[in-house]
Amino acid sequence: MTLEPMSLFWLALTLLAYLGSRWLYRRTGRYLLSPLILVPVVLLAVAVPLHTGYAEYARNTHWLMSVLGPVTVAFAVPIWQQRALLARHWPALSLGMLVGSAASIGSSWALAHALSLDNQVSLSLLPRSITTPFAMPLAHDLGGVPELTAVFVMFTGVLGALMGGVLLKYLPLRTPLARGALFGVGAHGAGVSRAHEVGGEEGSVAGLVMVLTGIFNLFMAPLLRHLL
Amino acid sequence: MTAVSFKKFSRLLAELGVLLVLYLLGCQLSAWLHWPIPGGVVGMALLLLVFATGRVKPATLQTGATLLMAEMLLFFIPALMSLLDYGPLLRSEGWRILLVIGASTLLVMLATAFTVEWACRWRLRHDA
Repeated sequence: MTLEPMSLFWLALTLLAYLGSRWLYRRTGRYLLSPLILVPVVLLAVAVPLHTGYAEYARNTHWLMSVLGPVTVAFAVPIWQQRALLARHWPALSLGMLVGSAASIGSSWALAHALSLDNQVSLSLLPRSITTPFAMPLAHDLGGVPELTAVFVMFTGVLGALMGGVLLKYLPLRTPLARGALFGVGAHGAGVSRAHEVGGEEGSVAGLVMVLTGIFNLFMAPLLRHLL
Repeated sequence: MTAVSFKKFSRLLAELGVLLVLYLLGCQLSAWLHWPIPGGVVGMALLLLVFATGRVKPATLQTGATLLMAEMLLFFIPALMSLLDYGPLLRSEGWRILLVIGASTLLVMLATAFTVEWACRWRLRHDA
């Protein structure tokens, strides 16, 4: 075995960039400095000039992704805490999740074909509106590339959190339920933090809906595979 | 490290440990029963069952669960770096991909928000 200082370098840089960006974002509140945007930019800015490939970057950092499993388990806590909300509003929320998921998968597929995107890219686009711990296994199930899906999920979060804020200004949405669901189904984690800024109830709804939409999509995988 | 922060830290580690064990249990169960469901989702279902028995309160795992969910971004950053291998793809299809993501996200948000809003108003009219 040889010692590989460069691969430990990538782990250290990832952690440093993450902690630094989180600190900057909390201090300034500027969206461009949020870890979702700044960390990939910093890492790419170092890796591209060095001609680093993904395999080399991932050698000592891929284990971070295995923490997404326990994160999924942790989702049980908000679900349980919001069970009263769910019991009261499950018909509206389920309907919203169903329509939203169908819109997401249907429009991604149709647009990807209309713009004649590569088949693997199209498949990897399908789970992009659900949260990463669910989107990656779903992409794998559908025959897409889970890593590519994670990239598309990130872009969805960045764009969705911005668009959702603008939409709220112009849409005649009177219920916090609709405002929360917009963010939870449309922009997963990034949307949930944005929804918390709009209001407490919006945030709770968005968080609950984000997790439930992920589970729902995952259970729809066999049907989707059949349709594709 | 003071005694209090040491206690808090070991508490956090224990909570994370419980979540990890549930995840590994979920993976085992899903493999044994040949379920197509990821271990994390089975683990989550197990934890919900535990909460439903009333023996464990969600507050018991609050610190660990909140930490994992709050720092979730860190855990998928490595996947984002797969971009390093997709330079040519992005150059040829990047704008079209962004167009799909933007247009589709807009559609999802409109469809979801109006469906939920409509369902809520319908219920208000019929419950009253």
